[in-house]
Parts: sequence; structure tokens; C-alpha cells
Amino acid sequence: MRALQLATSLAAASVFAIAAAQDKGPSDPQIAGIVVAANKIDVDAGKIAKSHSKNKEVQQFAQQMITDHTAVNKQAGALAKKLNVKPAESDTSKSLKSAAKDTQAKLKKLKGAEFDKAYVDNEVAYHEQVLGAIDKVLIPNAKNAELKGLIEKVRPAFEAHLEHAKHLQASLK
Amino acid sequence: MKAFLRIVLAAALVFGAAAVHAAGKTHAVRIEGMKFVPERLEVAAGDTIVWTNKDIVPHTVTAAEAKVESGELPTGKSFKFVARKSGEMSYICRLHPVMHGMVVVK
Repeated sequence: MRALQLATSLAAASVFAIAAAQDKGPSDPQIAGIVVAANKIDVDAGKIAKSHSKNKEVQQFAQQMITDHTAVNKQAGALAKKLNVKPAESDTSKSLKSAAKDTQAKLKKLKGAEFDKAYVDNEVAYHEQVLGAIDKVLIPNAKNAELKGLIEKVRPAFEAHLEHAKHLQASLK
Repeated sequence: MKAFLRIVLAAALVFGAAAVHAAGKTHAVRIEGMKFVPERLEVAAGDTIVWTNKDIVPHTVTAAEAKVESGELPTGKSFKFVARKSGEMSYICRLHPVMHGMVVVK
């Protein structure tokens, strides 16, 4: 299980390292693409947890992830439309998606307590990586003030998710 | 007779004003950045509290004991509540139980 957690963390770390290593930071359409991909990934993970977990607290957490990340993407979509920014793919969004595909395939093979632990460990690692990306890549590079504002507004929710996930992680031990 | 009328009118004005006062003040609480702002609010019995969700994710105003439940408030939506009973009412967001607030009704 640690191997999955480690692999997930490494994958996520390398994904955001790509973004940080780019000479030129991501453009606003690429940032919008990263935001949308990052939220969708966590909604999908939440849906898997809803169907695979029998733990009430894990189920509640998963539902919260689905509700919140869906709401963020709805707002991100509305803002992109208003600003006439078309979310664009980048190396970062592509790597995020392929790393998530691997994680989800691994999660789907697990059951019961094993699944709960793997899902929650992944949620802790994922939110840590996303928060790092928000601070180091997305906010510093966003050129449009409203896009930057949206990402800044999202940050406290992701922080609360991380706290919640860590709390769950400790209770599952 | 004129003097009497004047008194009646004056009385009507005074009681009219009192009636307006009894309807109470309106207090605003913002829900923003996963917090209730202000987290603690002191009001008088009869005052109205309006919570408005300025956050990017949905929230609720839930005080199970006092049977107050706003339902899910999407971004931009408000919930109005008239505080009638004096005492302390602590509440949470049902979706994010880490979020706490308190209304003290004097």
C-alpha cells in the first residue's frame, strides 16, 4: 500500500515539477485547463470511493469532494466563458490525467479497509500537491486578475479538504 | 378636542416607531474562505440574521439543537433567520463540520 501512496506522490510531484521547470509558466488557458483537470480528477476519485467504500466517514468525505470540486469547476467554467478563455491542454494537465488514470485503476482493484486507506492516503498526497501547485505555479503565473482571484478563492477549500483527509487518515490507522 | 387629537397622533407616532424597533435589526454574516464572518455575533431577540454564501463551494447553516437548517446554499445564495429565543446558538456547516459559528441572542 505504501508503494501505491509513494507512486502517487511521486507521480504528482513530477507532474507539478514539469510545470515549475517550464521556462515560461503556463498561460491563462493552460491554467484554466489545469484547474478543470485537477478538480475533475478528484470528483472521479470521489465517485469510485462512493461505490467501493463501506466506511461512513470515507463515504461522507468522498461526497464532500464530489460536491465541492464540482462547484469549483462550475465556477471555473463560467469564468472561462465570461473571459472568453478556452481551457487548453498542457504537459501538466496531460500528466495529471495520466497519473490519475493509473491511481484510479489501482484503487478499483482494492476493497474494504485496504481501499479506504489507499483512497484517503491518495487524497492527502493529492491535496498537498495541488496546494503546492496553486502557490508555486498557478497563482504566480495567472495573468488575468479574475482567474487569479478564483484560484485564491479556491485555496481555503482545498486546505480544509487536506485537514479533513489527514484527520480521516489518522482515524483509519 | 384638537389637543386630544394631537396627543393621539403623537402616541400613534411613538408606538409606530416602537413597532418598527420591535421588528429588529438585520445582521449580515458572510460565508467566505471556509469561515463564517463574523464567527460570533451578538443580536437582540427579534433581530434578523442573513447568512450569504460568498464562497466558491456550497455551505449550510445548521444548528441541530435549535432546529435551524438552511439547506445547501450555493454561491451567492442567502439564508434568513429571525432570532426569537435568547441564549447561545452554536452552528456548523453540515458539509464542512470544521466550520463553526455562534449567535448570542440577548
